[in-house]
Amino acid sequence: MKTWEYIVRRLLLLIPVLIGVTIITFTVSHVIPADPARAFAGGPKAQPETIARIRAELHLDKPLWEQYFYYMNDLIHLNLGKSFLENRTVTTALAQYFLATFELTIFATIIAIPFGIIGGIISAIRQNKLSDHITRIIAIVGYSLPIFWLALMLQYVFAYQFPIFPLEGRLSVGMTSPTTFTGFYILDSIFSGNGAALISSLHHLLLPAFTLGFAELAIILRMMRSSMLEVMGSDYIRTARAKGLSERTVIYKHALRNAMIPTITVAGLSFGGLLSGAVLTETIFNWPGMGRFAAHAVLGLDFNAVMGFTLVVAIIYVIANLIVDILYAVVDPRVKLGGG
Amino acid sequence: MRSFGKKDVKAGVLAILICAMFICVGFSGCTQQQQQGNPEIKNPTTYVRYDIGEPRTLDPAEAYDSASTDMVFNIYETLVTYHGNDTKTIYPSLATNWTVGSDQETWTFHLRQGVKFSNGDLFNASDVKYSLDRVLTINSPDSGVAWILSQCMDLNSTTILDPYTVQIKLKNTYGGFLALMAFSVASIVDKKIVEANGGVIANTDNQWMKEHAIGTGPYKLDHWTHNSEIVLKKNDLYWGGWSGNHVDTVVVKTADEASTRILALNSGDADFAYIPFENLVDIQNKTGVLIYNSPSYNTVNGIFNTQSENTFMANKDVRKALSYVFNYQSAIDDAFNGYLFLSPGAIPKGMPYYETQNNGVPVYNHNLEKAAELLNASGYTQTTMFKGKLYRFNNTAIRIWYNSGNSERQKMALSFQQDLANIGINSIVSTESWPQYLNRLYNTIDWDFMFLGWMPDYNDPDDYVAPFVGSAANGGDTFHTGWANATVDRMINRAKFNVSTQIRGDSYATAFNIYINDPSLIYIGQESYTRGMRTWLQGYSYNPCIEYYYYNYYKAYK
Repeated sequence: MKTWEYIVRRLLLLIPVLIGVTIITFTVSHVIPADPARAFAGGPKAQPETIARIRAELHLDKPLWEQYFYYMNDLIHLNLGKSFLENRTVTTALAQYFLATFELTIFATIIAIPFGIIGGIISAIRQNKLSDHITRIIAIVGYSLPIFWLALMLQYVFAYQFPIFPLEGRLSVGMTSPTTFTGFYILDSIFSGNGAALISSLHHLLLPAFTLGFAELAIILRMMRSSMLEVMGSDYIRTARAKGLSERTVIYKHALRNAMIPTITVAGLSFGGLLSGAVLTETIFNWPGMGRFAAHAVLGLDFNAVMGFTLVVAIIYVIANLIVDILYAVVDPRVKLGGG
Repeated sequence: MRSFGKKDVKAGVLAILICAMFICVGFSGCTQQQQQGNPEIKNPTTYVRYDIGEPRTLDPAEAYDSASTDMVFNIYETLVTYHGNDTKTIYPSLATNWTVGSDQETWTFHLRQGVKFSNGDLFNASDVKYSLDRVLTINSPDSGVAWILSQCMDLNSTTILDPYTVQIKLKNTYGGFLALMAFSVASIVDKKIVEANGGVIANTDNQWMKEHAIGTGPYKLDHWTHNSEIVLKKNDLYWGGWSGNHVDTVVVKTADEASTRILALNSGDADFAYIPFENLVDIQNKTGVLIYNSPSYNTVNGIFNTQSENTFMANKDVRKALSYVFNYQSAIDDAFNGYLFLSPGAIPKGMPYYETQNNGVPVYNHNLEKAAELLNASGYTQTTMFKGKLYRFNNTAIRIWYNSGNSERQKMALSFQQDLANIGINSIVSTESWPQYLNRLYNTIDWDFMFLGWMPDYNDPDDYVAPFVGSAANGGDTFHTGWANATVDRMINRAKFNVSTQIRGDSYATAFNIYINDPSLIYIGQESYTRGMRTWLQGYSYNPCIEYYYYNYYKAYK
């Protein structure tokens, strides 16, 4: 099977996955005995006509299977419905929030993957030396610390006691966002030649990106260390050394590529996880992203928003898995996509 | 397997020490002393507020939540308004003066001349008629706020007499009409702009107006990033002018996390912040920070279900007894940390006709003996033995609910449960999310007692008495208690459709004497309006009718 055929087949598999996700999410969110229409309409102050209109719009007066049918019909027409909490369409809201989260996640990953891989290699090749102990402690701290605690501490130390980073947000107070080309503030600042916005957005990214990336860094570091140790103990490495190759060549040419495969798996899935699960980081650093949007939607039973978020996350995971599989083949030529 | 040598152990210990050192350095900042004296004013011409919740819309014809009306009050203007913290007097705004005819239904407003919208369009009477008719025509499907005007107006009400005079002929006399005209829903929009961007479609909200705003008010919209911030800049064309002290820019940030708001305030990034009662201790005694505290119209109520499956809840003496069981002082001290004051009835302190409620003195207090006496006299004695203790109501539990995340209501519920147990009443305290809570309240009878609050729409008792104790048939019973009284309904309508202060006062007094002796609610109290604020912020004063009016603000030390 050719690579493009494999990719198309995997993308087609997205359809049953998404149908499954919609059935589960729709059922779980709708069986809770609640009155979201009244909540959206203003709670005790809601006017009966407003409640009736929202109920009709959400088809809440219909049986569950019929509600699901209406939802799927809209979905086929690429209509994710209206977010009643946001008072605008889910598509509009997700377009804004996804880009904010994506920018944050990319920076978190830029921190996590190189430092995690380099740390893991150093830790493995200098096993039980001081640098190994330090990197292992960093790894333990990284995946032991609750993310909200780390965020609060970083904010307290580096934004309050020693105010070298901004407390929250994406830009400095009162600064208008750069002209939109991509929705990513960094790229938009560069494209629009807005140096002040570029510096401000980079400055605002560092603390939340580090918070988000630190746990991922720890996992990648541990994974890289253990796979490197395993590979370094294998026969072909011993053979390479016996042939008189330099230690540098042994590590980077022979060991690293093989040790990378499990790390790629973890990094790929972590990226998907970060995109969908940045709720706490976004809440504490006041980052207008998908995580906060999802948290509000779940707490407020904003059905359409919950469904829209879940679909996006499902797509992200499927695509992240696909990219991981493709990278396997890139890193290890023995791996054939599609099992052929 | 490789064994660990002495050297490895030393290296491990050293690594731990290095990491510990970094952690200590990080935390050393936590013990630093606060800077003494007046800190340097940050962003001197910009007012920054950190708050929860963001506007749902910027359209005056749709705005109903406080975050939305906050923006509307500063971008748009109404014909009449309030000044400072004065809730008793209504002042001119876009109308310079007004008269009311002898029929008490015909109001004539003389408009301010030379006023421009922030885009340069000239304001005149056609904008007034267009704006008021627009509210009634759109009849906002998303918020339903048009009900406020439609109580006394229809599409025939507003007439243009000349370019700077409008007449509003009410469809019925309405005692609170001027208060309605001061609410954000009566804000004046630019006819040309609205017509150019979607116009007016019956029963349909204008999508463009949700996110765009051009008014005659002191500020204009700069940008709105959802779930992040909304920024206003001064409107250079504002008729009030910019001499004197004013902030040029207003930034309102949406910050869900209380700790973020606290740090922003303490660091001076925020000039003003919403801090929950339980966190006020975190901003006390901080240099340059004060706690602003003022009575609000936000009331805290316990709601009885008179239609409950537990039929004893229909008995008025049981509800009176429960009103005596409730520990009001505990609510003030333990739940609200002192930021609550007692309320005698439905009308909050500060609002006209408050004194008609037993001269402002609460009828009920925490009195378990009196409660037991009332219950015993009604035949609800402690006769059922359970686990060595005698219970009333055959040990049927009173079901108390509060919405999750509301710590004040949680504390009040647990205190109430304890006091109920002390007079032999079993009870269960439960919690659920807000949409589930509303479902229970409005669509089931599976509850006996719930907590709910109320905030003002407009400054008239009709906005409190009618929804609280009016019957459902009369458009009241907002809390779904099932309680109704024909005389109270008659008094509510008499006060609503009359402008005589004497008649209105007598009506509210009569209604109070009936509903307080057959209570469908426990009027627990009124919240204090508390916010964290930098001492450099001047010109702020809380008005329950217009929470923020940025034009008055400036930053300087006194």
